[in-house]
Amino acid sequence: MKRASLSVLGGAVGILFFLPLLWVVTNSLRPGSETFANLSPLSWQTFLELRPTLTNYSALLNSAIGRATLNSILVSAATVVIGLAVCATAAFGLAAFQFRGRGLVFGIVVLSFLVPFDAIAIPLSTMFRDWHLTNTFAGLVLPGIGNGMAIFLLRQFFLGIPAELVEAGRLDGLGWFGVFRWIYLPLSKPALIGAGLMLFLFQWQAYVWPLLIGTDAKHILGPVALSNLQGQNFTDYGLVFAGAVVLTVIPLVVIAGFQRYFVQSVSSTGLK
Amino acid sequence: MKQRQGLIALAFLAPALVCLAVLRIVPAISAVVESFYTESLLRGGRVFAGLGNYTDLLSNKDFRQSVGVTLLFTVLVNPIQVVVSFLLAVLFTQRAAGAKLWRTLVILPIATPPAVSAVIWSVIYRPDGLANGVLERLGLPAQPFLTSSSQVLPSLIVMLSWIGVGYWMLFLIAGIQEVPEEVREAALLDGAGPWRRMISVVLPLVRRPLAFVLVADTVSNLLVFAPVQILTKGGPNGNSNLLMYDVYTRAYAIGDIHVAQAEVVILVALTLAIVAGQFRLLRGDQ
Repeated sequence: MKRASLSVLGGAVGILFFLPLLWVVTNSLRPGSETFANLSPLSWQTFLELRPTLTNYSALLNSAIGRATLNSILVSAATVVIGLAVCATAAFGLAAFQFRGRGLVFGIVVLSFLVPFDAIAIPLSTMFRDWHLTNTFAGLVLPGIGNGMAIFLLRQFFLGIPAELVEAGRLDGLGWFGVFRWIYLPLSKPALIGAGLMLFLFQWQAYVWPLLIGTDAKHILGPVALSNLQGQNFTDYGLVFAGAVVLTVIPLVVIAGFQRYFVQSVSSTGLK
Repeated sequence: MKQRQGLIALAFLAPALVCLAVLRIVPAISAVVESFYTESLLRGGRVFAGLGNYTDLLSNKDFRQSVGVTLLFTVLVNPIQVVVSFLLAVLFTQRAAGAKLWRTLVILPIATPPAVSAVIWSVIYRPDGLANGVLERLGLPAQPFLTSSSQVLPSLIVMLSWIGVGYWMLFLIAGIQEVPEEVREAALLDGAGPWRRMISVVLPLVRRPLAFVLVADTVSNLLVFAPVQILTKGGPNGNSNLLMYDVYTRAYAIGDIHVAQAEVVILVALTLAIVAGQFRLLRGDQ
């Protein structure tokens, strides 16, 4: 009895959170001219479309948002690949060696993620302007690759790798890069995926930075392009909603695919 | 030997250290330095202005209003989000049919980038949008939402909670699941007022994740930008002009980069002060 009422309560909350997304998906499957047709009065048709059409999605392919979404994918993928290389080597440097100044270096890493990036985006963007990085992919990717939180997460994981393994590897003639490449990396898949997700989401969700640094047609990113479309006078909301669905589904698929690691990285940053 | 190790370690660390220094620490320092300068038309180039930019800001009515709005927003949004996340975390860690599915539905919005959520809610809050459709169904009068001075902040808070609560809930669920099952079950089955029991037993045991969520949520809410820029442009009458958006307009619409840098410094200082206050408070009642 009590369990049943908890279930009902949970269901009500879940559906309440889901309704806006359902409404967006439904309207992405009907012509933009009908977006506001089913709202007064509200009925089940507000949230369900029996004759769905994909015209909004095919229109998306040739629109500014299509190009912008591809840019977002490119920038996020580059951030994850380069960022993981930079962050994992740094974490290895911090975890595998004893040296004077290690505490100081670690302090710099921690300090760098205590300063919120969005707050320094404006001073940084004036620097990037001087360096002619405005409207370049390099300008969009660079701030994402040195992620203090990702370094921290990887270092914590690397510290758990036994020193005997490293010694054995060294005796077998591995250089330090070999130790990193053939011992640390293969053992750290969960932490690497967790850190990769962190880098990916940082870039995919970014708005302030791409707005400041990359708004020409060739370099504009998905969220910026979508908000530009929304600001116009005669907005095709079918197209807006289709774009919103695509920009949500891509990270959703990535998170769902790595769900276990996502929750792990979330909980370990929160608890440690 | 140790020195050699240091050199090798440094080689591994160098790319990241360069990135962090150039892309995080130098701009932070440059904001502080630039905030003490001003552009001089007479002499050309920048000249030292001391605290001039700061006194300009403090005597500026729009800036003072922006600080007030930001503080009001902070005081409202953070307790609401932390309490709701905690209650949902407790709810979704009970054994009940479908709990996993309902929990997933609450988490879904975190995949939506904040700017995309803002675009979605700009349609929801239109006079003829979904929100008024729901109110009409419930027999309630239509509301102006974003165009009303008194409703604009609550409307933003609802939207931001839709985005954020699921995310913060994840940390608290992870924390609750660290509490041994027997303790939770015992609390639940112990007769009268299971919710009260649950909260009085579980709450003290998830202090650490709860403290983390409060601090991290506060920081992220002090940096809210996309919804303001997309939905309200700070209006009506500056009633949603949060500091982060005010910095942006000062830098790019008004074009006074040095004063904007001073405002960045104030924003970061305010953030640190609030976070430090929270830490003291949390330690105080332990």
